[in-house]
Amino acid sequence: MASIIDIKDECALHVRDFEFTYKGAPAPSLKKVTMPIAKHSITALIGPSGCGKTTLLRSFNRMHDLYPGNTYNGEIEFEGRNILGAKEDLIHLRTKIGMIFQKPTAFPMSIFDNVAYGMRLQGIKNKTELRDRVEKALQDAAIWKEVSDRLKNDANGLSGGQQQRLCIARAIAVEPEVLLFDEPTSALDPISTQGIEKLVIELKEKVSIIIVTHNMQQAARVSDYTGFMYLGELIELGHTEELFVTPKEKLTQEYITGKFG
Amino acid sequence: MIDKIFSNLTRFSALLILVIVAWIFVELYNQSLEAINAFGFDFITKDEWAPNVDKFGAYAAIFGSVASTFLAMLFAIPIAIGVAIFLSEIAHDKIKGFFGVSVELLAAIPSVIYGMWGLFYFVPIIRDLFGGMGIGLLSAGIVLSIMILPFMAAVTRDAMNTTPDILKESAYALGGTQWDVIKDVIIPYARAGIIGSIILALGRAIGETMAVTFVMGNVHHTPSAITDPTTSIPVTLANEFAEADSSLYFSSLFELALLLLAMSFVVIAIAKFYFLRKERRGV
Amino acid sequence: MTAVQKRVLINKIVLGLSTLSAIIAIAFLFWILGVLVMKGVGALNWDIFIFEGSPPGYAESGLKHALVGQLILVSLATFIGVPFGILAGTYLSEYGKNSKLAHAIRDISDIMMSAPSIVIGAFVYAIVVMPMGHFSAWAGAIALAIIMIPIILRTTDDMLQLVPGTLREAAFALGAPKYKVIMDVVYRGAKAGILTGVLLGIARVGGETAPLLFTSFNDNFFTTDLNEAMPSLTVTMFNYAISPYEDWQQLGWAAAFILSMFILGLNIVGRLILFAGKRK
Repeated sequence: MASIIDIKDECALHVRDFEFTYKGAPAPSLKKVTMPIAKHSITALIGPSGCGKTTLLRSFNRMHDLYPGNTYNGEIEFEGRNILGAKEDLIHLRTKIGMIFQKPTAFPMSIFDNVAYGMRLQGIKNKTELRDRVEKALQDAAIWKEVSDRLKNDANGLSGGQQQRLCIARAIAVEPEVLLFDEPTSALDPISTQGIEKLVIELKEKVSIIIVTHNMQQAARVSDYTGFMYLGELIELGHTEELFVTPKEKLTQEYITGKFG
Repeated sequence: MIDKIFSNLTRFSALLILVIVAWIFVELYNQSLEAINAFGFDFITKDEWAPNVDKFGAYAAIFGSVASTFLAMLFAIPIAIGVAIFLSEIAHDKIKGFFGVSVELLAAIPSVIYGMWGLFYFVPIIRDLFGGMGIGLLSAGIVLSIMILPFMAAVTRDAMNTTPDILKESAYALGGTQWDVIKDVIIPYARAGIIGSIILALGRAIGETMAVTFVMGNVHHTPSAITDPTTSIPVTLANEFAEADSSLYFSSLFELALLLLAMSFVVIAIAKFYFLRKERRGV
Repeated sequence: MTAVQKRVLINKIVLGLSTLSAIIAIAFLFWILGVLVMKGVGALNWDIFIFEGSPPGYAESGLKHALVGQLILVSLATFIGVPFGILAGTYLSEYGKNSKLAHAIRDISDIMMSAPSIVIGAFVYAIVVMPMGHFSAWAGAIALAIIMIPIILRTTDDMLQLVPGTLREAAFALGAPKYKVIMDVVYRGAKAGILTGVLLGIARVGGETAPLLFTSFNDNFFTTDLNEAMPSLTVTMFNYAISPYEDWQQLGWAAAFILSMFILGLNIVGRLILFAGKRK
């Protein structure tokens, strides 16, 4: 049976009995997952490919709704309501729960416009406000120094690591409560990876973070809590240092010692 | 030995295509010389086309070609982009499949049939709505737009589909609506491909003969109203080539063919090499 | 109204408009296909295949002349165009590869595929009809072949390039000369693709009218003389449709239906072959 620790602090999100089935798939990809996500901390999701960690991550901002035919039930509680409800305002939800992807996804526009994009969607037109918040977001994403003199340049001219930090700036510019990271460093070199990891740790002051990673060391380095998933189930959720040193489940131990994966 | 013969045979065949294209230009130019010498630039600026007195000014035909193509683009571009958006961002898989088959169907229909349909079924509507004969620039533009619509929609959709899902998802993840994602991400990302597709469709429209020959008229007169019958380069060629009776008349028709070829060659080359280079090479 | 509400509204409007465009497009599609099927099937009968053209008003009139003429013209064009197209495609894929010449030939072929077909007709008029002094089936077939060559060249080039290089190397390693490798290994590997290219090429020229107008011209009677003007379905359709006689117009629709089915059939068979080849 799964071993899920009780989180004493306030929770940012709470998943309860969540089941998810992709369109046309014979079996659910997530089976009765129950998982609390602590506020202002970093929760890492690890597990072998196909275990459902990315599927779970993409459920938090209802990304799956972009592709019709997927079915899900259960509950994901956020700000006191179940966000899986049919009446959920997805636009509002996605401004509250931001996402960073496996690869940098700079839009085909200038650096400034990239960061201002989410704010403009919310209707912020005031130039001073936009400029201030773009600068603040870029500073928070630790890329301001590198781009402050070329905000008008095409964002695709930046390096991969810079683009990923730009995407983080773009996501935090709209001041979300939660940030979802889907293997954010898988396309980056070690030095850029280090930069992103440092940034993720700094960001938890402001937001709650969930990070999917295929890299156990990364989970150990950055996260406060780690969840181990296997075949669509959450096998274990615990404090990161405890989970990696004294796992409660046999499967977890086998995975972190490299017996499979 | 056989190896040598075979490789030379393939090389000869490949070079033949270059030879044919060069030959087409040279031959059309040579055949046009008499008209070029006789009329010079008047050929493209005057619209007096009078075979009985051997006077040929092709302004009306050139104007008709440009105007009918322009009208066709005016109607086809918004609808084609609408259809492309529908197919890439709204429609479910079954509808996409259905439309894919429909596009194949429409592409299989010879253009002469669009012309017949236009003459018997569409022209009467234009006649009832606007008076006059129904045959004319407007009918030609609309029939032409229907003819190029499936091609334009299909290539525009293909261009839009080159946008990576992850880029679209990033915009949705910031709270964008479908239209936000389309206008801010998909269209800027696929801009070159979309413009290229549209220009390619334009290149085809200029040279399309049969769809418009039925519904344009064949009057060498620059139209004063959009519903007036007029002519275009392909329409003039289709109607008059087999009937020309003087060498200057022939030469003038050849000059028209040369102008048409040059126009479509330039347009298609711009589409292919300026906008569609990446896709075409497949790298 | 907040900015977000406004965006949601605009989104609904735009998506509505785009759905409307699709409905308009589909409506025209059904209109045209509906007319083609209704008028075409309505005009079909056995007489069409038995009798040749006759003056308007005659009961015994058909399309035999145009059907046979169409077959002759397209077959002749295929015999001229296919060998050149395949050989040229072979050059690009197996000899020219990434050379400047090969790329130039590919570029020119791409442009030729979208070039106005009526201009090809004018060109063939100048090089064949004028020297001969009269219209002929040969002229029509040459015009169609010129249109066909770039299509077959490009598909052959693409299909041969799909044959894995290791297959060629294996054959070379056995000591086979290059032409043998191409004939026995490369062509065999790309058989389905080449055949599809040929069928699509035939389908494309089969629907052409403009390049035949003043090359093979037309004739209302049955003929198999390649040195004389020859009727075709497309030009017959054109002439009958613009005539003021209702029975001729009827025959025009019948011709339109038969030709569309023929071209559609070629397209479907071509795709099925490619699909079956891919699955293997």
